This record gives sequence, C-alpha cells and structure tokens, in this order.
Amino acid sequence: MSGRRTRGWAFACLAGAALGVSLVVLIILIAITALQAGPITSMRAVAGAGISLSLRSMDVPGTRDAVAFVTVAQVEAGSPAAGLGMSRGDALLTVGDTPVNRPSQAWDAVGAAPGGREVTLPVVWMPRPEITLGTLRAASVEGAPRVVLSAPSESAQAGGLRAGDVLLTAGGIPIAGTRQAWEALVVAARTQGTPIELALEREGEPVLVRWDPTARAELPFVRDPLRAWWTFLTTLNEPRYPERAGLLPAFVGSVYVVLVMAAVAFPLGVAGAVYLEEYAPSNFLTRTIEILVANLAGTPSAVVGIIGLEVFARALGAGRSILAGGLTLSVLILPMMIVATREALRAVPRTLREAALAVGATRWETVRHHVLPYALPGILTGTILSFSRALGEAAPLLLLGAFLFVTYVPQGLGDSFTVVPLQIFEWATRPQDGFATVAAAAIVILVALLLLLNAVAIVLRTRFQRRWSG
Amino acid sequence: MDVTPHAVVRVSCGRSRREGLATAGLTTTGLLAVVVTLAIIALFIEGSVPFFREVQLGDFVEGTRWAPLHEPASYGILPLVGATVVTTGIALAVAMPLGLLSAVFLSTYAPSSVRRILKPALELLAGVPTVVYGFFALRFVTPLLQGFIPALGFWNGLSAGLVMGVMIVPYVASLSEDVLYAVPRSLWEGSYALGATRFETVVRVVVPAALSGLGAAFILAMTRAVGETMIVALAAGRTPTWPPDPTQPLLTLTTAIVNIATGDHEATAFIWSAVFAIGLLLFLTTLVLNTVSYLVIRRFRERYA
Repeated sequence: MSGRRTRGWAFACLAGAALGVSLVVLIILIAITALQAGPITSMRAVAGAGISLSLRSMDVPGTRDAVAFVTVAQVEAGSPAAGLGMSRGDALLTVGDTPVNRPSQAWDAVGAAPGGREVTLPVVWMPRPEITLGTLRAASVEGAPRVVLSAPSESAQAGGLRAGDVLLTAGGIPIAGTRQAWEALVVAARTQGTPIELALEREGEPVLVRWDPTARAELPFVRDPLRAWWTFLTTLNEPRYPERAGLLPAFVGSVYVVLVMAAVAFPLGVAGAVYLEEYAPSNFLTRTIEILVANLAGTPSAVVGIIGLEVFARALGAGRSILAGGLTLSVLILPMMIVATREALRAVPRTLREAALAVGATRWETVRHHVLPYALPGILTGTILSFSRALGEAAPLLLLGAFLFVTYVPQGLGDSFTVVPLQIFEWATRPQDGFATVAAAAIVILVALLLLLNAVAIVLRTRFQRRWSG
Repeated sequence: MDVTPHAVVRVSCGRSRREGLATAGLTTTGLLAVVVTLAIIALFIEGSVPFFREVQLGDFVEGTRWAPLHEPASYGILPLVGATVVTTGIALAVAMPLGLLSAVFLSTYAPSSVRRILKPALELLAGVPTVVYGFFALRFVTPLLQGFIPALGFWNGLSAGLVMGVMIVPYVASLSEDVLYAVPRSLWEGSYALGATRFETVVRVVVPAALSGLGAAFILAMTRAVGETMIVALAAGRTPTWPPDPTQPLLTLTTAIVNIATGDHEATAFIWSAVFAIGLLLFLTTLVLNTVSYLVIRRFRERYA
C-alpha cells in the first residue's frame, strides 16, 4: 500500500516538475532575451563550404546615380567566407588581384566552380556597401571644387578621419565631386584592395590616412534606458548602425497589415463559423469542410507565404505591398478565426435559440439578434487571440518579399513594408553583436504587446464564462 | 382575401428574402474553405509542373544533393527531408514527455486554484512568436551547448530542435489536457472506487482510454514541427547536408523555401517551380497528418459522447 502511494507521489512530483520546468524554461527564455541589453557571445566561424553571389545595383549616397555591385547572396556556415566574417548583403570588391564587377569574375578569379574549392586568395569586401566614408559635401575652396567630409562614418572615424577633412585623392585617384569621390573609393578598393590610402587636407595641412571600410569604431550605446526605449520605438530605422536602429517603420507596418487582415478575416471568419455551426446540414459536405478548415489551420506558414506571393502579389498584382501582406495573413488567420468563433457559438445555450424560434423568429433573425450578441464576448476573445498570432507571424511575410530594409514609414496600402517580427529576424541574422541587442529590445516590445493582448483576451473569457455558468 | 393578410404576406416576403440572402451568403463563406483548399492544391500542382518536367521524380526523391543555385544544379530532396526529420524528431523528443506530463499534472494532480493560474499561463506562452524562439536558440542555447559539445556548429539542428520542442510544449499540453478531460468522469471514478490511487488511475485507466486522442495530439505536434520556419531559419543554418548531422548546419524543407524566395539572385521561373515542388510536398504531408489526427480525435470524442 505504501509502495503504491510512494509511486503515486513520485509520479505527481515528476508530472508537476515537468510542467514547472516547461514554464520556467519558457519564462527564462523571455527573461534572457530581455536581459540581452549587454554584450553577447560573438559570432563563431566554423569550417565548411562556399558562398553564392548576385549582382545588385546600389544607390550612390547623396546622388541619383547607381553603381553595380556583386553582393553576397548567401554565406554557407563554415565556409571560408563565413570565417572571414562575410554576411548576406556585403559587397565583394576584389578576389586576389582581380576586381570583381560580375559574379562570374569572382569565380574565374578563384578558378573554381561555386561551392567548390577553398578560397585561399585574399578577398576584399565591404560589409554592406552602404558603409562609406560618411556624408560628403561638395564645396568650393578658393574657386576649386572640393569634397568635404561633413559626417564621418564609424569606419572613417576608426581610420582617423574627422569632420571637415577635405578629400583630395583616394588610392591615388583624384577627387573632384561627391560622386567621383565615391567612384574613386570603389575603384581604389577594387584595384588596390583595402585599406585605401586617402590624401586629405586638414586645416590647410596635407594628411595621409589609411581607411579600412571594414573597421568598426566602438560607438557608445545610449545608456539612458527610458529615453533609449522611447527613441527606439519612435525613430526611423537606420540599417547601418545598431546604435541608430529604430522600430517605427516596422511597428507602423505591423499595425497596417493587421488592420487589413482584420478587415478580411473577421467578417469572413464569423460568417464561416455561423454557417458551420447554425446553418450547415449534417452531411458529407459539412464534414469535409470541417476537415479542410482544420487542415488550413495547420498549414505551414511558409506554404501560406508561397500562396501569398503567387496569388496576391503576382496574380492579383498587389505587389509586395501592405495589401498583399494583409491578405496573406488573412489566409493564415481565417481558419483560426472560424475555429474560435465556432467555440463561442457552441457555448450559447440551446434554450436561447429554441426560445427565439418558438416565438416565430426566422433562423437569420435568431442568429442576428440572439445568438451573435450572446456569443460576442467569446468571439472577441478568439479574435484577439488570432490577431495576436498574426502580429507575431513572420514566415509568410518573409516569403512575400524582401522588405527587410524598409527605412521609412509606410503611407498607404500600396506601399512596401516590414513588420516587427521580420525586423527582429533581419537584426538577428546580422553578425554584429549590436544588432542582437537591438533585436532583443524589439523582442521585449513585441512580447510585451502580445502578452498584454492575450492577457486581456483570457481575462475577458474567464469573466464571461463565469457569467454564463452563473 | 382582404388587405390585412396581404400585408402579412408582404412582410414575411421581406423576411424570407432576407433569410434567403443570409443563407446564401453564409453558405458561400462556408464553401470558401473547400474552394481555398482546392485552389491551393491546384496552384501547387500547376506551379510544380515545370519542375517535374525537367527533373526526374527519382532524382528528386532519391537524390542526396540539393544545389538549385549552383552549376550544375541538382535537386535531391533527401537532405531537406533528412534535416526536417532530425529537427522534428528532437523537438518531439522534448515536447511529448514534457507536454504529456504537464497535461496529466493539470488534469489529475493540480488543485483547481493552481490550475486556474497555470492553464492561462501556458496559453500566454503559446502566444510567443516563433522568431523570438529562433533568436533564443541562436544567441543563447547554441553558445550554451557549445560548452558541452565543442564541435557544435554556430548553426545546428540540435539547438533549433530543442528550442522548437520547448515551443511546442504548451501546445501539446493543452491538446492532451483536452483529450484527458474528454475521458468520462465515470472511468476516473470507477477506478477510484476500486481503490486505485491517482497514479494508477491515470496510468492504467485514463491514458489507455485516451490513447488514440493522445496519438492525434502527437501528430498535430509533428505537423507543427515540420512546418516551423523561423526557428530553423535563424538557428539551423542554410546548408543542405547528407547524411544530416544534428551538430552541423542543416537545411529543412521550410528553410529551403525561404532560401530561394529571399535570395538576391534572379528568381527564375524554374527555381520558383522548385519552391512549388517543396511546398506541394509540405502541404500534402500536413494535409495527410492533419486529416488523420482530426478523424482520430473525432472518433475518440464520439466514442465517449
């Protein structure tokens, strides 16, 4: 007898511990993410395969021109490229002594097929070609056109450049205008590699500096917590520096996309649920519909993303816009809405329906005036839960388009956009530790918002459950 | 016939018209699910036709090299399937025991006051976005595991699978708890009346009675893990390897889709058709799994209704 009891208690403890452990792990997860405001483990390179390249045109900062770049489309983990610290979006300038203007040239220079042999030649690249000397200003000094560095970038500061320096040559190539300055930098990097020798004039004195575009100065993080959070939430995103990252575009994008999704999924979801629960005859077709709805609710979100891209973005011509994003999410959320609404309708007592029908109301009148109002709190709870799911969904929108670098606030349904979870994904894939901190900050905001929404829904439900049963 | 009945007829005419409109409208939305599913299947079959015209089905199913962007291209699906099986297996190995035990605790042992707090807490945690779990796996779990397994890659299937398992625990717990709850009270009480302890009741009576329902929960958890995208995209890497090694980077079916769809390369029509082929495989897998679990659960409910 006591053996049985002991076994029972041991099992109770085990089961309780399992639940406890799961909850604690999940809570630790969120807490640790929240605490990542400090430095985090740096990227660790491992050994393995290659990179794939693509051609991309980049706007020249401050001008209307564009320059073609060979950019890194993908870095395989453990490749020499990964070991060097290359990441997606970096520009490849030279391989060995060969300047690279087209992807094929890079492979010719290596002398191997993509993904083939190990690259042993020195490779020169710029992490994100957006990283330049900084803001350049055209000026006229004693009648001669000059280029003045008005706001040096991080790497320029690390190389000893200062605001107000007049640029004369880059790698021996003379500089006359802001556009030439930029071209000279690119050409010098392509033909001579980095660091690039820059001839400057500082306070009338000639100065020579060596600028390494891959260098990073240690910029201090803003340490005033409340203001930093508020600034983070309300500023535009500057994709180059983690210090200047902002969540505003993603936040507004999320709100827009969820609103579009709500406008589609809410009426359709409620109508579908009312049909299945109140109207549908009990036959093969209804059972099929039920299975299909359950299935759609379990469709992988990546598959939904393909549908969104093919149907909404391409076939309907919505492009990679807020409209297409909202419609894609509604495909994902609609089945959840139907399931949640059906549960709310099922909780409405039969007597209510029968009373309405008995006094001569038609079926629609019963539903419209009695069942729906009664089920409304339950429906709203389900709605909040499904919408908060949509707010945290990234995969379908990731497939829908490469809007990972949206830096402005979207204005209308036709604009391209990014959402908070996608922005987190983008920051999380960046190798610099600063971006991990920023991603953690965005996670804290997103999770706080979702927990708040879910808590409201759960409280709502508990209250109305009590009212119904009482 | 005088005026009054006529008026009544007119009123009910309006009412019945409204009734007809409502029925028609609601039926249409109800049928939407059928239309959408058929449209999806049609879309994926049509989209993957160019792919299967070019690539032998045998090479696709049995090929061990996935390199759609390289020259010469190769479209063996096995590395992707292997990676998905590895991460899903690890996730289920974590989620099933933890989730099931949590459900047993909630339905059998927890006093109602504890239950009232823990159940909503589980639901809250189920609402955490997957990208958050992915970040956690990449930035916390992998460095932690590297302390024990020095050869562990920066990207690896192990930490992605473990974290995916943790993500699924609330889902499994909630599904299993529903199933256990659906076992009639008479079975519980009959067992108690015979002098069985709570442990004996759960292990010998309730769980066997609920076995089919728990199986369905297992299948649903599996579909969740198979379709999970963001965790593996962040933490498992993007390298197709065969045979799959959990300590090294892997490319799952879902990340292969992400990889092609978000690559900077010119997405040619043919590469896009490969996305459809993978999508079709994923969709059919989840369709079969979901349908099976749905039917099992329904039969389970009917048996005890």
